[in-house]
Amino acid sequence: MSGALLEARGIAVSFGGVEVLSGIDFDLDERGLVSIIGPNGAGKSTFLNVLTGTVKPTRGTVRFRGESISARPLHRIARLGIARKFQVPSVFQSMSVADNLDVARWGTGATPAARRDVLGMIGLGERAGEIAAALSHGERQWLEIGMALATGPKLLLLDEPTAGMTPQETLATAAMLLRLRDEIAIAAVEHDIGFVRALGADTLVLHQGKTFRRGPFAEIEADEAVRDVYLGRR
Amino acid sequence: MSERAFLIVFAVCAAGLAIYPVLVDSYNLSVVRDALIFGLFAASLDLFWGRTGILCFGHAAFFGIGGYVMAILSMMPDLPQAEILGLLGAMAAAAALAALVGYFLFFGGVRSSYFTIVTLALSVIAQQVAVSWSSVTGGDSGLLGVPPLVLGLGSVRLDLSGNLASYLLVAGILGVALLGFRALARGRWGRILAAISDNEMRAAALGHDAPLRLTLTFVLSAAVAGLAGALYVAMAGLMAPDLSGLLLSTEVVVWVAIGGRGTLIGPVIGAVLAQRAQQVISSLNPSLWPLIIGCVFIVVVFAFPDGVMSVAERLRLLRRRRAR
Amino acid sequence: MGTALATLLNALTLISIFSLVGLGLAISFGLMNVTNLAHGEFVTVGAFTVYLVQHLGGSFWLGLAAAPVAAALVGLALEAAILRRLYERPVGGILATWGVSLVLQQSLELIFGRGAKPVVPPVDGTLDLLVTAYPAYRLILILIAAATLGLVAALVRFTRFGLDIRTVIQNREMAEAVGIDTRFTYAVAFAFGAAVAGLAGALVSPMATVLPQMGVNYLANAFFVVIVGGAGSLAGLVAGSTFVGGLTSVLDYQISPSLAQAMVLLAAIVIVRFRPNGLAPGRRR
Repeated sequence: MSGALLEARGIAVSFGGVEVLSGIDFDLDERGLVSIIGPNGAGKSTFLNVLTGTVKPTRGTVRFRGESISARPLHRIARLGIARKFQVPSVFQSMSVADNLDVARWGTGATPAARRDVLGMIGLGERAGEIAAALSHGERQWLEIGMALATGPKLLLLDEPTAGMTPQETLATAAMLLRLRDEIAIAAVEHDIGFVRALGADTLVLHQGKTFRRGPFAEIEADEAVRDVYLGRR
Repeated sequence: MSERAFLIVFAVCAAGLAIYPVLVDSYNLSVVRDALIFGLFAASLDLFWGRTGILCFGHAAFFGIGGYVMAILSMMPDLPQAEILGLLGAMAAAAALAALVGYFLFFGGVRSSYFTIVTLALSVIAQQVAVSWSSVTGGDSGLLGVPPLVLGLGSVRLDLSGNLASYLLVAGILGVALLGFRALARGRWGRILAAISDNEMRAAALGHDAPLRLTLTFVLSAAVAGLAGALYVAMAGLMAPDLSGLLLSTEVVVWVAIGGRGTLIGPVIGAVLAQRAQQVISSLNPSLWPLIIGCVFIVVVFAFPDGVMSVAERLRLLRRRRAR
Repeated sequence: MGTALATLLNALTLISIFSLVGLGLAISFGLMNVTNLAHGEFVTVGAFTVYLVQHLGGSFWLGLAAAPVAAALVGLALEAAILRRLYERPVGGILATWGVSLVLQQSLELIFGRGAKPVVPPVDGTLDLLVTAYPAYRLILILIAAATLGLVAALVRFTRFGLDIRTVIQNREMAEAVGIDTRFTYAVAFAFGAAVAGLAGALVSPMATVLPQMGVNYLANAFFVVIVGGAGSLAGLVAGSTFVGGLTSVLDYQISPSLAQAMVLLAAIVIVRFRPNGLAPGRRR
């Protein structure tokens, strides 16, 4: 297959006349890893929601492996191979960790990951029988990442995967994602710079609904203009 | 309800039903048989309501359509295999109605209260249509003289017209249905449904087609309700419009609620006990029964939000806590 | 020409009644998120009040005045005893209000006995409308209903209480924070919806069969009105009533009333599929 795995062209979103995103182009290659950062209100979450099909863009198209995802219902997008982790940890509270993963594995009809492998990867091997509601906040975030992986995706989209985590948990999450980069493409929206630094990946900076910079994290970190954006000087 | 508790209750009930014919006369046997048919009906509602958390308030529409199809087909003079066609047709008609309603509502994003109300209206209208379309349904007086079940397959002729035979048939169907529902509820299908009722958007983002799952579950639930209606008609020998109406729709909700939603066997017990109570109370004054049903609704909501069966659970927890 | 006008006026009669009954449901179902299955009984209570007043020697007009009061009292009692405890439990609310509905129906039957209760209309005869003659009472009914809806619109728009209601609907916590007694507001709004449904019951009582079980048909139709029209605005209420009432009265000429009902249900289901928020969705958060 030629071209990028995910291709967004001219994405614009308005809510009630307010333009949240305007004209974003974005490509992600197979097995690519990208962090999406930006100050509050830059449109990061909205952009991720466009990529997963939960928000329909006002203008522009999103193509995944050459197919447009704009008009598809959520479960069809999932079956194409796009998995996501929501911003608010959303696991099936009333069910066990193992059942949560099983329900995820049964979802897409693709070749799902084995439950044991996923449990090992997210470090919850000992707790498979427990009710998801009994997990700590950080563990729930991991379970949700595990559920996304269990569907056997080609692209994993993460909305603030480390929100509410301790610094150690954050680093462990970054290490987990780095281990995955040989297998699938990952895009993570995050504003914990420690996490983004630990990933050390290709980084997209959004500002006021537009692409502000894109480049390796080391360059982005050294960029005066990006700092100005974060400090509100621009 | 744990797997063990379910199997124990199931085994005790099955054993009780197996010896029952020895203990009572033929008439009492037919009374329990009819109660068991309503138990099957209650279990069919619980399959949907218990797993999805979405309340269908018009389940008698499916029971009724099954009954009418059975009555009409088995009273056709020249139809070969009329009884078997009747049973299958009853299930198919109920399933088709449920597919229609489920498709438009679930794929339209309708859940919870809206669904409850539309199904309530469905039952009201089903009864009205049954009353007014008298050339087909016999109107207010219904259809009388439905022949009893005699199934003929090739040279084998199975006469199920006697009270004992029909009792055993109903008990057998109920047992198979309960075990099947239980397997479905605990297996992959049931867990995906539980996930959908827990967080539908999350389930969809994992690739599950929630509207389709809900519709298919609803169709299965309705088909079994239609089968219950068909069995009832064949055994009672008549079909009347109120068997598709709102009062029966309401009663089956009470049976499930007092028996314990989601336990499958609890609703069957609830149905049998309620039938018994209804006979006693209605013999005093016919208006009294709906009044009591109404009171039971209010009491169940405030005193036993998880069903009467949950009281046993709560008592056990209390005793265990005391023992410590 | 004459038949067309008569059909139009028949439709207007139904639309008037459905709007009045639907108003209370739009308040409880659409705004307070409570599914009140006992709403039809407010209509029944209104109709029985007129019957009782006439039976005791009073005039129709006295009954018409007493009906909303009686329905409002039942509504207040229902809100305080049952609904208030169930705002967080939607299925519990459905079951409990249905229980209340059955209890009210059977109590009425035990008190007043079986069989339809006669209500005498206040005016007889027809009014000559040039192309057709039309029952005078129905014209009065349409006028009273229209006036009531106009009054409600004005109340919501211009009074302090209307503002409170709109605030509570928008955001209950915020309303409490700015000092609105939300429990009181809910109770009054609910009783108000009950009163209007009671008025509708009184208005239909000379034309309808007054029975303890009469409420359920109005309940079903009122829910169609709210579902089709979209809860949350008077415009939606009128749109829904026009659709349900209009379709019913047109179909009544062609097919039997119960088949017409089935068609209306089917239409409502189809509309929900394609316009899940109704024809005229209100502003919701």
